[in-house]
Amino acid sequence: MKLKIVSLILGVVAMVQVGAAQNVAQLLPAQLEKDLAARASEVTEVTLTKSMLGFAAKFMDGKRHDDAAVKQLIEGLDGIYVREYEFDKPGQYGPEVVEQVRQAVSTSEWVPLVREQDRKHGETTEVLMKVVNGENRGMFILEAEPRELTIVLILGPVKMEDLGKLKHLSGLGALGAVSGAQHAAHGTHTGGSK
Amino acid sequence: MSLEPMDRMDEFEQQLRTALVRQAAPEGLKQRILEARARRRASVGSPQSVWMRMAAGLLLAAVVGGGVLWKRHQEEQRGEAAREQVITALRVTNRALDNVEIKLAAHDTRDGEQEQRRTR
Repeated sequence: MKLKIVSLILGVVAMVQVGAAQNVAQLLPAQLEKDLAARASEVTEVTLTKSMLGFAAKFMDGKRHDDAAVKQLIEGLDGIYVREYEFDKPGQYGPEVVEQVRQAVSTSEWVPLVREQDRKHGETTEVLMKVVNGENRGMFILEAEPRELTIVLILGPVKMEDLGKLKHLSGLGALGAVSGAQHAAHGTHTGGSK
Repeated sequence: MSLEPMDRMDEFEQQLRTALVRQAAPEGLKQRILEARARRRASVGSPQSVWMRMAAGLLLAAVVGGGVLWKRHQEEQRGEAAREQVITALRVTNRALDNVEIKLAAHDTRDGEQEQRRTR
C-alpha cells in the first residue's frame, strides 16, 4: 500500500515536471529551434529551470543594488524560457512558426492581455497570462516582426508587484509598466488586425 | 570399523590436551620483543619522523583546503553565470514588453485620431 502511495506521488511529481518541460518543447520543437538559430544573425537562448533559478537566487546576496528585487521576482518561479532571434533579412521564418508557438498557449488557462496583429507590416504581438484557480501562474510574450522573433515564457507565480519594483532598475523599465497594464486591462487588450 | 561417539570424544580431548600443553618460550624471545619495541618508540619520537608527519599533515590539509576552495570557486562561477542568465532573460522580457507598450501607445493614438475625425 505504502509502495503504491509512493509510486503515485512520484508519478505525479514526474508528470508535473514533464508538464513544465512539455510547455517549452511545445512552444518550439527542438528541430524548429535549430532551424531558426541557423538562419538568425543573432540568437539569445535562455533556459532557466526551477532548480537553476533557485541556484541563481543563492548568488543574489545583495552585493549588487538590483539583487534583492530580482531575487524576490524569481523566487517561486518554475522556469524562465527566452528565445530571441534576429535576422539579417525578412522572410527567414514563416507565419506557420508563429502559429505553432501560438497554438502551444491556446488553452483556457492562458488569458490574453494583449493581442495585436499587423498584417500589413507582418507583425504579431501577444501577451498572455496563465491563470489557474484565479491565480497568476505564468506569462507568455510573443513578438514577431519580419526581422525579429521573441518568445518569452515565464512559468510560476509571476508577482506583478515585484515586476513593478524592477521598473527603476537599469534597463528594466517596461517590466514595471506591465504590472500597471495588467491591473488596468485585466481582461483583454486586443488590438485589431489591420 | 568406526569408533563409537564416546571414543571419538576421548580422542579429541586427548588431542586438545596435547596441543595445550604449556611450552617454554624460545630463548631470547622476550629480549627480542623488548628491543623491537624500544626501536619502534625511538623512531616514532625522532625529530625526523615528527617533521615528516607534520609535512604529510600540511600536505593533506593543503590538498583538502585547495579542493574545497576550487569547488567553491567553480560554484561561484556557475552561480554568476546563472545570475547573468536571469538578468539576460529579464532584459529580453523587458525589451519585448517595451515594444508592446510602444505599439499599444501607437494604437491608442491612432484610435484617438480616428475618434477625433469622427466627432468633427
